[in-house]
Amino acid sequence: MALEMTGSYDLAVPREEVWRALNDVAVLKRCIPGCEELEKVSDTELKAKVVAKVGPVKATFRGTVTLSDLTPPESYRISGEGEGGVAGFAKGGAVVRLAEIEGGTTLTYEAEAQIGGKLAQLGQRLVAGTAKKLADGFFKDFAAAVGGAPAGASAADAAAEDGGEAAKAG
Amino acid sequence: MYSFHYRRPTALNEALAVLHADSEAKMLAGGQTLIPTLKQRLAQPTALVDLSRIAGLSGIQKTAEGVTIGAMTHHADVARSPIVREVIPALADLAGQIGDAAVRNRGTLGGSLANNDPTADYPAAVLALNAVVSTDHRSIPADAYFQGLFETALEEGEIIVAVEFPQVDKAAYAKFRNPASRYAMAGVFVAKTAAEVRVAVTGAGQSGVFLWEEAGDVLASDFSPAAVDKLALDPSDLMSDLHGSAEYRAQLVKVMTKRAVASIA
Repeated sequence: MALEMTGSYDLAVPREEVWRALNDVAVLKRCIPGCEELEKVSDTELKAKVVAKVGPVKATFRGTVTLSDLTPPESYRISGEGEGGVAGFAKGGAVVRLAEIEGGTTLTYEAEAQIGGKLAQLGQRLVAGTAKKLADGFFKDFAAAVGGAPAGASAADAAAEDGGEAAKAG
Repeated sequence: MYSFHYRRPTALNEALAVLHADSEAKMLAGGQTLIPTLKQRLAQPTALVDLSRIAGLSGIQKTAEGVTIGAMTHHADVARSPIVREVIPALADLAGQIGDAAVRNRGTLGGSLANNDPTADYPAAVLALNAVVSTDHRSIPADAYFQGLFETALEEGEIIVAVEFPQVDKAAYAKFRNPASRYAMAGVFVAKTAAEVRVAVTGAGQSGVFLWEEAGDVLASDFSPAAVDKLALDPSDLMSDLHGSAEYRAQLVKVMTKRAVASIA
């Protein structure tokens, strides 16, 4: 099953700096939810170990993270693919675009995620909410990592069959 | 590869010691979610700490404010408790609607709350009644307890001991359940006090249980099903899956709210 998500963040940091952070392994490691290991294989390829924890489920995914379609300092595509053993597989990616605005940079992303195997069968009712939560988590942490608090975060409505941004939980 | 240690402490301190010494150990309450997850190999804890033999974790007590229910109390015991039926009948009614008889005989209040499944029933009652979740070292009000999809204010290794439910003027729970899983597609718990009306919704929100504040506000001035008629719940934050779209769930929430109110208005 596939999901699509979009969102945008205004950052009070120059575009060059945001671009540098997007290519910084240490920053990416801190922002990928559940990332325990992230190792550079080449300039555009990384090896990753990510622990996905949703409710009672805890699965360790090992796989690769690839940076492609690089157009510095405007946009790139970050994608990941991992095997979680009996849990199944997960893959996803996001096109990230940076636009200069007064006093900083607007980061927009269009992400999609796909899972298969047991996780997909059992977790069907939870996948949309979880994927959204992980994508939001990444970009929120990234915004914090590049320049303190974001100047204005506005996670836009999610596309596809997915509902939208996280509801106000009690 | 899939073996794990099984511990069954008789004191809370023993359980805490095991959990704090091993971050990969997991608590076992009624096991209605955890055991199926283990069977599917979707979690592989190093140890299970069975809480069922710890003294003082189960039982139902009437208090000056309402009723206090031990975390390890089974749903079936809440459903047929004369105390709960007298003080907060809607809570007994909710417990009797959870899952099936097997789930109600094994599942526990604390287990349900610690898991915070977005379609579980108990979170709606706890949030609407503004109950207090007591753990091994502190008390957490419901408003601060639920923090999103499977997320709670609980720290790693923190054990729920009991939940204090305050008595309210009127309360009711209306649930539209999935006929196969019996999870809530939309479950609405309405609680009315002299000061306010709280409407908590489970089964529908993408991030789990939430308060429908708009409905609470209109019901505070006019406690009737008709008062809800004018409202429309925004579907953009609701769950969408093969059982129903977000728009469908928004409508279900409204209808369940009206049913709950109609049963006690």
